[in-house]
Amino acid sequence: MSDSKIIEVQHITKRFKGLTAVKDVSFSVREGGITGMIGPNGAGKSTTFNMICGYYPPTEGKIFYKGQDITDKKAYEYTNMKIARTFQIMKPLKNLSVLENVVASSYFGHAAAKNEREAKERAMEILQFTGLYEKRHILSKDMGTPDQKRLEMARALATRPEMLFLDENMAGLNPAETEAAIQLIRKINESGVTIFLIEHIMQAVVSLCEEVIVLHHGEKIAEGTPAQVMNDPYVMEVYLGKKEGANA
Amino acid sequence: MSEKRKAVRTYHRNLAIVLGILLLIFVCIPLFVKSPYVLNIFVLVFYMSTLSMAWNLLGGMTGQNSLGHAAYMGLGAYASCLLITKAGINPWFSAILGMVIVGLVAGIIFYPCFILRGPYFTLVSIAFGEALRQFIINSAFFGRASGVGLPFGRDSWLNFRFGSKIPYYYVGLAMLLLVYLLMKKIERSKMGYALRTIREDEDAAAAIGINPTRYKIMAVVVSAMVAALVGFFYASYIRYIDPELMVLAKSTESVLPAVVGGAAYVEGPLVGGLIMIPLSEFLRAKYSSILPGINMLMYAVVLLIVIRFRPTGILGWYMHSKLKTFVDTKILRKPPIEVLEEVELAKMSGKE
Amino acid sequence: MSTFLQACVNGLLMGGFYSLMGMGQNVIFGVMKIVNFCHGEMLMVGMYLTYFLCTTFGLDPYLCVPLVAIIMFFLGAVIQHTLITPSLGTKSFTNLLFLTVGLGLLLSNGALVLFGSEYRTIPTSYSQVYINLGPVTLALPRLISFGVLIVVSIALFAFLKYSTIGKQIRAVSQNPVGAEVVGINTKRIYILTYGLGTALAGIAGALLTGFYTIFPTAGASFGFRALIVVVVGGLGSIPGAFFAGIFLGLLETMVALFISPSYSDLIVFVTFIVILVVRQLIIIRRK
Repeated sequence: MSDSKIIEVQHITKRFKGLTAVKDVSFSVREGGITGMIGPNGAGKSTTFNMICGYYPPTEGKIFYKGQDITDKKAYEYTNMKIARTFQIMKPLKNLSVLENVVASSYFGHAAAKNEREAKERAMEILQFTGLYEKRHILSKDMGTPDQKRLEMARALATRPEMLFLDENMAGLNPAETEAAIQLIRKINESGVTIFLIEHIMQAVVSLCEEVIVLHHGEKIAEGTPAQVMNDPYVMEVYLGKKEGANA
Repeated sequence: MSEKRKAVRTYHRNLAIVLGILLLIFVCIPLFVKSPYVLNIFVLVFYMSTLSMAWNLLGGMTGQNSLGHAAYMGLGAYASCLLITKAGINPWFSAILGMVIVGLVAGIIFYPCFILRGPYFTLVSIAFGEALRQFIINSAFFGRASGVGLPFGRDSWLNFRFGSKIPYYYVGLAMLLLVYLLMKKIERSKMGYALRTIREDEDAAAAIGINPTRYKIMAVVVSAMVAALVGFFYASYIRYIDPELMVLAKSTESVLPAVVGGAAYVEGPLVGGLIMIPLSEFLRAKYSSILPGINMLMYAVVLLIVIRFRPTGILGWYMHSKLKTFVDTKILRKPPIEVLEEVELAKMSGKE
Repeated sequence: MSTFLQACVNGLLMGGFYSLMGMGQNVIFGVMKIVNFCHGEMLMVGMYLTYFLCTTFGLDPYLCVPLVAIIMFFLGAVIQHTLITPSLGTKSFTNLLFLTVGLGLLLSNGALVLFGSEYRTIPTSYSQVYINLGPVTLALPRLISFGVLIVVSIALFAFLKYSTIGKQIRAVSQNPVGAEVVGINTKRIYILTYGLGTALAGIAGALLTGFYTIFPTAGASFGFRALIVVVVGGLGSIPGAFFAGIFLGLLETMVALFISPSYSDLIVFVTFIVILVVRQLIIIRRK
């Protein structure tokens, strides 16, 4: 594994009409690894995520991908740069079959399929990989949450990314489903895809991530290995401490 | 494998036979039906269904509900008429020019409008249609409210001018088939997947690398060009056009076959048009002298019933009906979808 | 000068109608996020209803206003309950759009079947009475209509702002789920809202009969102008709709006065497209 940084975020700030959602956040993502971002609700995780993925530009700051400034790139240019993402609120193409969902993705991105055969073959391969093959003829709206989450990943993978952003891909899953999702994410990473994920489920973050970034009130308050972060007193206080307090 | 291949081949053969018989019926109708009234209804079915297919590319496939298709059709009719009468260009050639002009106009006008989503796009399409109509009413070049007529004369294929309805019947049928094949081709292509992805979710489309504006413009241009072709056909058939052609009610009328037939399917406008238009024309002929508007009233009632009880249209209902199971298994002998898929993929990779 | 003032007054009057239509449309859009494409046809139904009441029972058109409002309210409530609410569940924008379009077709062609296409008016003893207000002359029916319009507009403001149902309507337009959580029956609010919107269109129709001809497609131009008003004034904003309506009325009469009456529609539609696109561009820039 190399130590080069695939993503570098430098001092990004986002203000919505006077409300500062993200304030001067900097971090980097190591190529080939799995990096996680955690933080309580309203910490600015999704805002940061959306800025990196081109949904809206940061008010201040710069984002680099493999040394190239991508701050002002449009969302639809990302798959051409080998970057893909999933959505927290799943966006399956409801009235299309699972297969069609993935075929649609195969047609776009840097390695866009040239013809129907290529698109279908790639879709089949991705469906095997993500374990949706048996369900390929079901309409995606008729599937349950775990499968829809898988489909989100399958659609992203069909664009052949080198960098994958996962936005709360395990929210709403039960422990067994979470474990299956963790296995899948690890498998994706082992196939050579760098992963950056936002997650609420601690178990997932601890078992997957090599590095963790903690946001609170729009600011980065800690980063390091999961063990380092969990033992950080400030993190315990604002994030985990609060959670324990709420549970008590 | 060879058994599966055989099953698929049988299915394709049966499908071809059924479609062939259907086509043969339509080709033979003018040989037996001589009544201009009945032939007129068929011509009407052909061009209205074609217009509805044009709408469906944008509305059904892309999810952009236009209510301005009468305006593209009208503009296409005006463009080709004026090219024929004022510039003396051959009708066939002016049809192509008219399509290009309308495609350009639609593309340029809607380029800024596609930042608008949902109901805004519908509102702009209405405003655009009305503005265009008002512009024509106020323009001497377009013949103001009194419209433009095409010269009458001897029957001629070169000038696309006939006294009989039969040539229009065949040209209309050919137009319908060509546009249907075009739409089918688009549906299965990269563009079709892009458009359907945009329909389901624009953000999801952008996330996999689809530029939504670019594809929506492509859809609007193709759709407007087909509408312009219908406009040319209409003008050549009726030989007279006026701004009334472009009123909002006509745009609505062009949508109805698609929504009633099933907007999610390329075949929806065909099914809707084939059922609704003859019914409407029958009512118009039979009762319009005593009860004007009765045909449109029937249209409205059918539309409301379909939306209320069968929201996916007639085809949407058929797709989940016992009738389809019967047709597939007993008549077409359709093999299971997995078998079809396997054979298709094997065939595709064999080709390369 | 006096022609200019006269045009201003006429513009204000027509603007008042556009405002009332726009406010009804806006309440419906705010609550259900659907564009009511049969709003103009509802106005037309209000006109025929007034005509029917006047010719059958010999009532004065202005006395019919409250009656028309009540009947139209129930008509709207029934339509909402039987057609729109069930279709809201399908979450298909296309279906909801063509549902209201279909209703519009049903109403206008129903009127055509029932009443024929001839133009009708309701003659009153005072339809030819003119009032001089300084340099401006105004027909009495227009003046009364304008007065009633203002009263209805103020009543609507007050209703939405202070009454419990008004507050519930505003709550549902801001956050339907939140409203449901605090115990508001959203289905009931949908019915009340659509009824209210329809009643407002009916009132506008009844007020128009004093000086406007009645025919099956009389509502179309008002219906589309109501949409313009809603979009220009801002979705969900009742005061926005009010001022946008007045602006639209003035714009029309000014174009008619200074350019040509036949261009007024063209300019209204083009202005609409330009405002819509420019505003959307500004929103995108800001993001």
